[in-house]
Amino acid sequence: MTRHIHIVKVHHLTLSFPTRKNPNPKPVLDDVDFGIRDGEILGLIGNSGCGKTMTSLAIAGLLPENAEITSGSIKFAGKNLLEMSPKERRAMLGKDIGMIFQEPSTALDPLMVIGKQLEEVLTAHKENNLSKEERRQAIIDMLKLVGFPNAEEIMTRYPHQLSGGQRQRVLIAGAALLKPRLLICDEPTSSLDTVTTISILELLKELCHKLHITILFISHDLSVVRGFCDRVMVMRNGKIVDRDTASDILTNPRNAFTAELLTNARLDTRILGFEPIKVDYEKEPVLTAKDITAGYGRSLFENIKNKKSKDAGINMVLKGVSLDVYPNEILGLIGGSGSGKTTLIRSLLGLLPHTGTVSIKSDRIGVIFQDPVSCLNPAHTIKWHMLEALNASSRAKEIKGTGTYEERKARTRARIIEVLDICGLGEEYLTRHPNELSGGQRQRVAIAMCLVQDPSLIIADEPFSSLDASSSAELLKLVTDINREQHTAFLLITHNIHIVRQIAPRVIVMSDGKICEEGITSDVLNDPKSEAASALLAAERQIHGSLS
Amino acid sequence: MQGKVGYFVGKLVELLVTLLLVSLLVFAAFSIIPGDTARIMLGPDASEAQVNLLRTQLGLDKPLVARYFSWLFGILTFNPGTSYAYNMSVGELISQRLPVTIGMSAIAMVMVVLISYPLAVLSARKPGRLGDQVCSVIGHVLFAIPPYVASLLLILLASSLFSLVTVGNYVAPSDDFSGFVGCLLLPSFAIALPKIAMSFKFLRSSIIEQRASDYVRTSKSHGLSDLKILVRHVLPNSNVSSITIISIILSDILGGSLIVEQVFNLPGLGRLLLSAISRRDFPLLSGIVFYLAFITVLLYFLSDILAAITDPRIRLK
Repeated sequence: MTRHIHIVKVHHLTLSFPTRKNPNPKPVLDDVDFGIRDGEILGLIGNSGCGKTMTSLAIAGLLPENAEITSGSIKFAGKNLLEMSPKERRAMLGKDIGMIFQEPSTALDPLMVIGKQLEEVLTAHKENNLSKEERRQAIIDMLKLVGFPNAEEIMTRYPHQLSGGQRQRVLIAGAALLKPRLLICDEPTSSLDTVTTISILELLKELCHKLHITILFISHDLSVVRGFCDRVMVMRNGKIVDRDTASDILTNPRNAFTAELLTNARLDTRILGFEPIKVDYEKEPVLTAKDITAGYGRSLFENIKNKKSKDAGINMVLKGVSLDVYPNEILGLIGGSGSGKTTLIRSLLGLLPHTGTVSIKSDRIGVIFQDPVSCLNPAHTIKWHMLEALNASSRAKEIKGTGTYEERKARTRARIIEVLDICGLGEEYLTRHPNELSGGQRQRVAIAMCLVQDPSLIIADEPFSSLDASSSAELLKLVTDINREQHTAFLLITHNIHIVRQIAPRVIVMSDGKICEEGITSDVLNDPKSEAASALLAAERQIHGSLS
Repeated sequence: MQGKVGYFVGKLVELLVTLLLVSLLVFAAFSIIPGDTARIMLGPDASEAQVNLLRTQLGLDKPLVARYFSWLFGILTFNPGTSYAYNMSVGELISQRLPVTIGMSAIAMVMVVLISYPLAVLSARKPGRLGDQVCSVIGHVLFAIPPYVASLLLILLASSLFSLVTVGNYVAPSDDFSGFVGCLLLPSFAIALPKIAMSFKFLRSSIIEQRASDYVRTSKSHGLSDLKILVRHVLPNSNVSSITIISIILSDILGGSLIVEQVFNLPGLGRLLLSAISRRDFPLLSGIVFYLAFITVLLYFLSDILAAITDPRIRLK
């Protein structure tokens, strides 16, 4: 094969989505012209909807059916991709061009074990005639390469039994299995936490060197590409507006838009300046969990197959976790993805079968989940949501009081308005539907739904990770206000060490299903004793260090 | 461990409790129906003493609870007593007629699967195209035709236009099995028609939804062919949701066959049921109703188990 300096050459590509009504719409990609050099990591940056993903899909040949390339060409190793038949292009996928995507949670078939899904990559391409045993070995080798020491075990798992970071590793393994020359990564880390992000980026870099894979890396977050990409291109409204080496673009942006992206990446320093409140650790804890062990079962058939070993039936995710949450405190819970944070929350809430005991002093605990979009029912108003939360609470009768229907109704309404007001939402929000609210506002509603039940503890599972920097800073202020004024304790699960440092007086670090370190936040973060805590801090420094 | 064994045991307990409730409901319903069975059997001319004697013979003078338990015992041992009208064992009567109803339902179900699956797959390939729209319109029309109307239309078509099938001829399975299947084809098709439309509509939208999912995109990026993606990923995933629909369709078909038997003059459970109703044949009636309910509950149970086997996520709940 002849060696080309540019493995991919996109030449004046224009792409649009013509419809019957509008045959000449505004192009989604407008005269895009760039090359990807053999062996480099090229970053493609821009806000959502700027055309980054369309560029990558055009290269891979996976464009939606209604997309039309009006002009330009795409050459891969000298061959014009746009002149190839669909069959020829499909033969290149997986073999020459690999892809990984943003959302690892839905990118794997939920009904198929990991081993089988990876095997499909090998069987889809007939030319590499491997025996069953060879295929298995290739998959095990690749899974080990992407960081699964227990590759055989992972092969038998279903996607829902893996964490987000683990799934993304599996997807990288699938994309790299046939050692393609180009790997397109479309926001592979944007739904992952910092530690996992760093490890995925390191893994990609390792693959790039070990297997000599060229990488096109798409992201909306400038801080992620720092120190990872060799060159960076900035896209806006379907055009490439800026391109330079990664270090130049980050230290000395010449383009105004690039500078703006850079500022956005720095925003989370806004949270500085919150004062943690005093907590009395002599009081009786609001929540005590002792020796929680939980895990996910295997399928019935596998269980019958593995009958010999008795404990083979269950994969333990939590191994004897104990913790106390005291009144008024904000307890931070940090850990990499797959460390068992979410499993712990589910066990504490009784959503997952577990052994060990959980005792809650008051029966009122609120929960706020990560994704505010799917947590609210799109068919109902905010008032309906608040009423439902109120009526489900054990205090519903107390709040409504006695009297006529009208009196009780008025009291209920007053209580709901009061709580919404605390959460920074006015009375006018009562009649709105979730789709009329922003992500930050929806998360406020979720907090209000907890608060209306007057909980003694709110468990918040990564409540800010899907929000942009300014909304999460405002929400964080809300959380500290509620903590100070309503005396509500918080168990805050987060991967953002900045947040923990600022608002949580005490912190627990989880790793591999165990609590590996716990104590006063400043002690733990300034002088981490455990490997996991050090890794978290190092990752945080690596990503945000020089930016903040 | 807790997750999966618990799930199956839980479902089994659910099944048993449902059956117990069904038996109570069936028995209660027949107990509160006004009218004196003994009086109806003997006619208006019989004397009070004769009626009382028959009542004692039938055990109708015992307390309600005792009658329930002896009835339940009979039902569970497949010996629910003797039919007043036919003077035959109810178990024997039902087992004579069951093959027709079950055979018809089974053939109808096979038709539903064989016709709706390929159509749904083809339609979902290019949603919105002409073929898809034609299929959808025909589906809507078929969905609106009740089985008994479809039966009459089919009889007309088959007998007068094509004279292919002899309508109204019944061949017992013991005499000629292929003849038995042959005479059930047309009635089965009449029951299947609206269900084909229902299953088609559901499968089509489910396949379209699955084809747009992220894991299909992943498989495409791995270089899998469309056919492989369809067979290995899209169909199994849409089957997970279809299993429930199929079990509902099956129980619908069972109910539909009771009516269609009348139109095609087939000696199935439906006709037995109607004659039992008109003659106030309590043992026969309660037997048929209970066993039909039993089959339906069993179908739902099996569909739950099947869903749990195909979907590894179910056992976690």
